[in-house]
Amino acid sequence: MDQSGGAKGKARVAVVAAGVVSPLGFGLSETLDSLRNARDCVTPVTRFPVAQCRCKTAGQVPDERLLSNQGDNRAQRLHRASHMMIEALEEALAQEPQFKPELTIIGTTSGGMSYGENYYRSLHRHGSLRHSPAWIANYPAQKPVIDAQEAFGISAPCQIIANACASGTNAIGHAFECVRSGLYQRVLAGGYDALSELVFVGFDSLQASTPEKCRPFDRHRTGMVLGEGAAILALEDLENALRRGAHILAEITGYGASTDNFHLTQPDPSGVGARRAMERALKSADTAATKIDYINAHGTATPLNDAAEGKAISDLFDGVPVSSTKGMMGHSLGAAGAVEAVVCLLALRHQFLPPNINFRGTEESLELNIIANEACPASLRTVLSNSFGFGGTNASIVMQKFLPRQGHGGQVEG
Amino acid sequence: MSLAIAGMGWATPLGSGVDAVWDRLLRGDEARGQKITDQLGKQSYTAFRVPEFALTSLTPHPRLRRASAISRFAAAAGLEALKAAHVDVDEKTAERIALVFAISNGGVVYTKRFYSAIVEAGTQSASPLLFPETVFNAPASHLAALLGVTGAVYTLVGDAAVGLLAIKMAEDLMAHAEFDYCLVVGAEEVDWLLCDAYRRWRLLRFEPPVEAFRQRARGMILSEGAGAILLARNGSPTIELINPGGYYRKRSEAEEILKRILCDLNETEIDFVVCSANGTFVDEAERKALAEIIPDAVVYTPKPALGESVGAAGLWQVIIAALALQRGALPPLLHVEPTKQLRISTARLSLANAKDAIVLSCGVNQQAAGLRLSIR
Repeated sequence: MDQSGGAKGKARVAVVAAGVVSPLGFGLSETLDSLRNARDCVTPVTRFPVAQCRCKTAGQVPDERLLSNQGDNRAQRLHRASHMMIEALEEALAQEPQFKPELTIIGTTSGGMSYGENYYRSLHRHGSLRHSPAWIANYPAQKPVIDAQEAFGISAPCQIIANACASGTNAIGHAFECVRSGLYQRVLAGGYDALSELVFVGFDSLQASTPEKCRPFDRHRTGMVLGEGAAILALEDLENALRRGAHILAEITGYGASTDNFHLTQPDPSGVGARRAMERALKSADTAATKIDYINAHGTATPLNDAAEGKAISDLFDGVPVSSTKGMMGHSLGAAGAVEAVVCLLALRHQFLPPNINFRGTEESLELNIIANEACPASLRTVLSNSFGFGGTNASIVMQKFLPRQGHGGQVEG
Repeated sequence: MSLAIAGMGWATPLGSGVDAVWDRLLRGDEARGQKITDQLGKQSYTAFRVPEFALTSLTPHPRLRRASAISRFAAAAGLEALKAAHVDVDEKTAERIALVFAISNGGVVYTKRFYSAIVEAGTQSASPLLFPETVFNAPASHLAALLGVTGAVYTLVGDAAVGLLAIKMAEDLMAHAEFDYCLVVGAEEVDWLLCDAYRRWRLLRFEPPVEAFRQRARGMILSEGAGAILLARNGSPTIELINPGGYYRKRSEAEEILKRILCDLNETEIDFVVCSANGTFVDEAERKALAEIIPDAVVYTPKPALGESVGAAGLWQVIIAALALQRGALPPLLHVEPTKQLRISTARLSLANAKDAIVLSCGVNQQAAGLRLSIR
């Protein structure tokens, strides 16, 4: 193994910039502050009526900030998801103004769904359809990505991955593979999703969401809460990035994907799908399970997900610190993997373990070292992030703190 | 990297089975329009639907029992492509097959049914059985389960260019030695709601025919179905080059991105182009780009015969281009007026010596892409 990370004979992949907006805050700095303070950012849903739903809370990005800088009429027609993508990309490009991606790969589950809801409701009540062309034009899943690229003069082709809740990690993982294979030098990757009534009610109908607090891995967990957000990572061939003196925020060193064909909405209870994704990510990173210092779990707090993921982690790792950060911000679906990659990035840069809030104790069958309720300082070199979704999609990535070798001209952050 | 098309399959409004549909296209057949109505509005629309007989060969499977039509179309096309390539998927080969899906509107029938219950009767009426089928990757999940694929399964979403973008993603995946094959499937289903949305967007006409390359665009007819190609490292025909294009900001700028794509793909002499003209602004953009960059190539679009199937459209175009190269013939272009700017044929055209073709996809939602196919 290459001592400085990555598999032999393949390009190393650097994260040279990142941007995020989520219920934890706008930007890396606010997100870091929320993580360190174990802030519970789940609030009563205000975007649509939820009186008849079991669950009445979600992690929400406040409109008063998100939509405060809308300029012309065109900007006002954009979907909230577009505004979140623009915020995230703006932050990343502020760190790397000259970053010109050859490809953009973004995960999502529902695009501009709330515009589709507006359209349907207007048809149903025979109301005004004056705005329907704008709703329809801004509904497709690629639109927020194109809007964000257009806002900053980026013209790269877009691949929009819709692999349910694994989409964000799949997008980053596939982007990593594209750079590592040498096919591309620079790729933007990430994920977005905006809260919508259809999706909220859907999870409620499955009784996957909870009327109580979201308690990942807790023995008395009762389900998830939804969230929303967007996050973007700028990936670049490490040698290239170093040559031009770029800041290296971290490296991505491994990616694993798997599909378990157990059920459309339920994971294989043996945890085989999750385990296979993590094993493949470790193999891809050419590293051992014992080298992992922290796992950001998918950890939705549904009884079935946490049991299967917990079993897979217990089977594969021995006492590694684990947290799910979804208790703080909710599950942002297609954005989740990307936002959680940013969480891992911040953990590596600032050397701390992000907390798993609302936690009281896990069942004895799961031998998990949960980072309970408070962030704590730690020496982190290598971390792993999981995302699993409907359709049996499973994805894991391995990220590593960048340690420059002698003679490397790059600037190290953190 | 050059990739071979090892197998193909489709379910279309002209039926299923590569040979059967190809014969009908060569004969100049076009799909029969079916009226679609809905209590949501007084307006009725016409769409090209997949006939029931097209799916009779699909073996029953528990995963497909409640699945939406889009999943059954995808399964029929995907299984046909594997069968044509003589690939039997067992536990060992399943790990070495990647699956990439291209979709635009996804499972719109169940999505509408799910949301209509919420709107009409309140959130407590939402169906937990329908909700999972509304997710974009449900068709991919069903096909993965049918085949037992346990590795990489991706669903890409986009406009009518998404089929070619999915093939580009497959090319990137096949750069890794861990995969022997990549099955690329594009699928779509039609609903009144989609027709209404595209009509309000001024892209749809109420009745066939689809008239390609008219000076004044009269609109498209939506269709449904699926197309699938199995990509391998060896075989013929080959996909020599894929240009994933990018996006255009305004409709008036679509021509420019198409020109860039065609310039990139036009390294060798191109015999014919299977383009995406569908009776909308796309036609004018393609006409100008083709006339300027590849004036000598024969131009064909399948959309007058098969309609606009969005997510499946790119795969259908690739299958048509591959068959035209293999079998030395191009179907007649229907409902088109003669134009000096393009080489088109309103009769079946013999292409005995054709070696190179371009597939061009311009979606109505800002995306465009192209690829070059060759046979040697």
